[in-house]
Amino acid sequence: MSRDILVIGGGIAGIQAALDLAEMDFKVHLVERLPSIGGKMAQLDKTFPTNDCAI
Amino acid sequence: MLDVGRHPNIKLMAYSEVEEVNGEVGNFRVKIKRKARYVNEDKCTGCGACSEKCPTVVPDAFNEGLSTRKAIYTWFAQGIPSTHTIDTEHCRQFQGKKCGICQKVCQADAVEYDQKDKFVELSVGAIVVATGYEVFNPNRIPEYGYKEIDNVVTAIEFERLLSASGPTGGHLYRPSDLKVKEEVPALEKSLKKLSKALERFEKKYGQKSEEFYKALGKEEQGNDPDKAKWAEAYEQKEEVSKRLSEYKAILEKMDVAKKLAFIQCVGSRDIRFYPFCSGYCCMHSIKEAIIANEHEPETNSVIFGMDIRAVGKGFEEYKIRGADHSSITYVRGRVAEIIQLPDKTPVVVYEDTMERVVREEPFDLVILATACVPNKGTKELAGILGIELDRFGFFRTTQANPVDTTRPGIFVCGCADSPMDIPESVAQASAAAARAAQVIVETEMKKAS
Amino acid sequence: MAGKKKKEFEELRIGVFICDCGSNIAGHLDCKAVTEYAATLPGVVFAKENLYTCSEAGILEIQEAIKKHKLNRVVVASCSPRTHQPLFQNSCKSAGLNPYLFEMVNIRDQCSWVHMQDRENATRKAMDLVRMAVARAAFLEPQQDIESPLTPRVGVIGGGSAGLSAAEGLSRMGLEVVLVEKNKELGGLLRNLHKVAPEGVDASERLEGLIQDVSSRPNVKIFTGAELKSLDGYVGNYVMNIRDGEGQTVKESVGCLVIAIGAIPLVQKGLFGHDGKRVITQMELEPILKKGKFDAKRVVMIQCAGARGDERSYCSRICCMIAVKNAMFIKKLSPDTEIRILYRDMQMYGTEKEKMLWEARGEGIRFEVYDPAHPPEVGDKAVRLRQPLLGREIEFAYDLVVLSTPLVAREDASELSQLLRVPMDQNGFFLEAHAKLRPLDFAADGIFLAGSCRYPATYDEARSQGLGAAARVGTILFKDKLVTSAIVAEINPETCVGCMGCLQMCPYGAISYDQERKICQVNEILCKGCGCCAATCPSESASLRGFKPQQLMSQIRAVMEG
Repeated sequence: MSRDILVIGGGIAGIQAALDLAEMDFKVHLVERLPSIGGKMAQLDKTFPTNDCAI
Repeated sequence: MLDVGRHPNIKLMAYSEVEEVNGEVGNFRVKIKRKARYVNEDKCTGCGACSEKCPTVVPDAFNEGLSTRKAIYTWFAQGIPSTHTIDTEHCRQFQGKKCGICQKVCQADAVEYDQKDKFVELSVGAIVVATGYEVFNPNRIPEYGYKEIDNVVTAIEFERLLSASGPTGGHLYRPSDLKVKEEVPALEKSLKKLSKALERFEKKYGQKSEEFYKALGKEEQGNDPDKAKWAEAYEQKEEVSKRLSEYKAILEKMDVAKKLAFIQCVGSRDIRFYPFCSGYCCMHSIKEAIIANEHEPETNSVIFGMDIRAVGKGFEEYKIRGADHSSITYVRGRVAEIIQLPDKTPVVVYEDTMERVVREEPFDLVILATACVPNKGTKELAGILGIELDRFGFFRTTQANPVDTTRPGIFVCGCADSPMDIPESVAQASAAAARAAQVIVETEMKKAS
Repeated sequence: MAGKKKKEFEELRIGVFICDCGSNIAGHLDCKAVTEYAATLPGVVFAKENLYTCSEAGILEIQEAIKKHKLNRVVVASCSPRTHQPLFQNSCKSAGLNPYLFEMVNIRDQCSWVHMQDRENATRKAMDLVRMAVARAAFLEPQQDIESPLTPRVGVIGGGSAGLSAAEGLSRMGLEVVLVEKNKELGGLLRNLHKVAPEGVDASERLEGLIQDVSSRPNVKIFTGAELKSLDGYVGNYVMNIRDGEGQTVKESVGCLVIAIGAIPLVQKGLFGHDGKRVITQMELEPILKKGKFDAKRVVMIQCAGARGDERSYCSRICCMIAVKNAMFIKKLSPDTEIRILYRDMQMYGTEKEKMLWEARGEGIRFEVYDPAHPPEVGDKAVRLRQPLLGREIEFAYDLVVLSTPLVAREDASELSQLLRVPMDQNGFFLEAHAKLRPLDFAADGIFLAGSCRYPATYDEARSQGLGAAARVGTILFKDKLVTSAIVAEINPETCVGCMGCLQMCPYGAISYDQERKICQVNEILCKGCGCCAATCPSESASLRGFKPQQLMSQIRAVMEG
């Protein structure tokens, strides 16, 4: 058996899942189709309702 | 995002795709294709010298095609990894032309034109699917005139127009004006060229072009090829200078868009396309209207929707704040059509269901709140992973186990599950992480006992 | 103390590395000149320009220089410490240098990038910045990360859908759980529901399965009819003082807590004529539906009753779905019953809920929009409504009016918020650390939240959040020990006069007053190193490690020297 975990997709959901698992000391393989991670959220200027910067 | 790049427990494989999955929970074998970037990830420092010198300009997909990038590029400035990638469809080197500039300027010696796709085999205990969504292509709704009317844009395009790191540096110019502005240098260049040509003729024949053209008879033109060329050049020059002065007049009056219309449920809650509600778009439009108003306090926005679904913590209050402080008006109704005036002003035709009248109202810019729909690759990935989709085309889950797919050990979160807003995506991602951790802990315990 | 003494007599050997960052820095300022200048600064024994200090070659150069030149301080002038400080610190550490003896200065983001047009001044500014960093580096002290043990147990407060899901999740992750429920029975709000939307499964079926599962787990300890009375300790090592069902006080050690106390449906006498008989709330309708008998022939439901108004401005998220679900079930029990739902916006977000709305329309349930400026009026026999589409008033005779009232914060939530020292929003719901990115965390370490005590949630949402909170706990308790940064405040017991000025300033509750010694003390685990106490202390007894007056003043003096 393997303790490693595969996360497919490097948007906000994939990033959160990968970070949580990595912090739980699992080895995570994060696969992203595009040249860099960030997903749709990286394209957003700011987010509601706090108008914080998205990146 | 940064934390992912530097976390010792995370192996990041960007520009990669899952090709094959075998085995079962606790022991999946996965084949991953690492697509060739033609740039060595370990050597590239992301300095950007290559893209600075690259001669090939292509539309920038990250900015929704509203700006350009080079054929060797990073997805976006702060992207992780910052490794550059060669877009082989456009790169001169790969299109059989002479170039090789990027390889020459790269001081880290990272450019490798002969790189090949690599395949990696992994053994994993659990899989989390977080492949997200894509936005609906509004071309499918002809009555909204997207792509035909310059000043009709999608919410995500508008997002790039608002962004300080976007194509306009955050200034909300109308795409029709930007198009004009873009064309001016080419027109000026061609005007210069034509004027020079005319000058040559004038010198040769000792006559002003204008007089020549006036005196020119129809039959004469065909006889003397030289004079025909002169006449043609003159006509072209007249045409170009007319257009140029029109354009300059437009640019002189060019101002940022101040009257905005947001149209909700474009492609969603519409049985012709997607019957479901995309959840976040009402708030997305409100946010965009508020930010636009922050950029330019004279901005007025109208949001057209059937219901304004401000369901989330602080959302209703945010919606009210938008109305009270950011000049947003909410109109209940579905927009019937968008038409365009000769000066490129889009006009929204709608029925105000509260006032019981059909109205036509001009705006500077119309923003389409497009639906959140399943990614094109979802079906294929479902096949590879051996999991089912629901009736809407998202990965199937149940209420009792909201992040479990139909195959044990594979979990899903975020908009790959169904449309949702960021905090819900984040909460669900943690839930999927918990489930993945559980199956591994449980498999270990089973093995130990 | 011995180490400190040694340091005083130690010769300073500072190494400075100037990064070109390709052309990002070197393109806009003279890195060679900055490097030459750095070599002349006091204490500097080695200065080197790198094409990329962060590259493998660059890191190797730092590590070799530490050994070869016996460097005891390293300064890197490059990009942002946010992205690269951990890399450089770890590189120093593996070359045998204490990572707290590393100093970083940003000559890119705030220098070369902002002064692209002015090479000369950009170079001068980079020199100033490097001089400041070197001056500060001279006074840096070696520090040890703070390590403390962790208790691999979790307290879950609240036994509704969110709390039960968290308990189940944690237990299956192999962590021990102490579940504290105020009521005699587990289940929370779900206990009062008839069916769960949108799947239409019996609520009791959902609930019993979950309760059975959690109760049968050997590593879950359940207290019902119990209450958390107080909490001592800090992340990793909390002690819950619980008053159990018999009124006894029980102490339970836990490393983290999950708060999932839920919310309660508003019942307000007189609201739209509420009398509990002919005008009832959706929650009061549920037990009637559960009995399976329904006689009313004309039903009017009113949405946003007591919500989205002056008194409560928020939208309660789940009431539209509950109304549609109940309306559809009434149609099933009594197909002739006429149902009208008076609404402002039907909040049927997402895939399945919107589908429910279509289906409800297909079953003949009528939806009438109303304008909050002209709310419906409930009379003795009929509900009167100004119908905007018709532009006039219409009346609907009724046998039963059902009010869709919001979930409101529990009254005891504020007590708990004080006890845990976690904030609430203006509506009395708990306030998470970040609305977007940290929905399940409190700003305080080791305490998490899930379900309707954060903001009204559907069953699936509460369940996802409960499970999610379990993962958040796992990020702390799956480790062997808690490691925190050494950059925390310290208070000199010799000079502290116990004025408690710092105690009031500390946003993290990390400072306590020692009654016996009459001085203030810092809890290093709770301290976040913000420095408020150091800035406040009138006797300069409080200071922040790594940012002591001497260290800061040296930097300020260095900039003046320029």
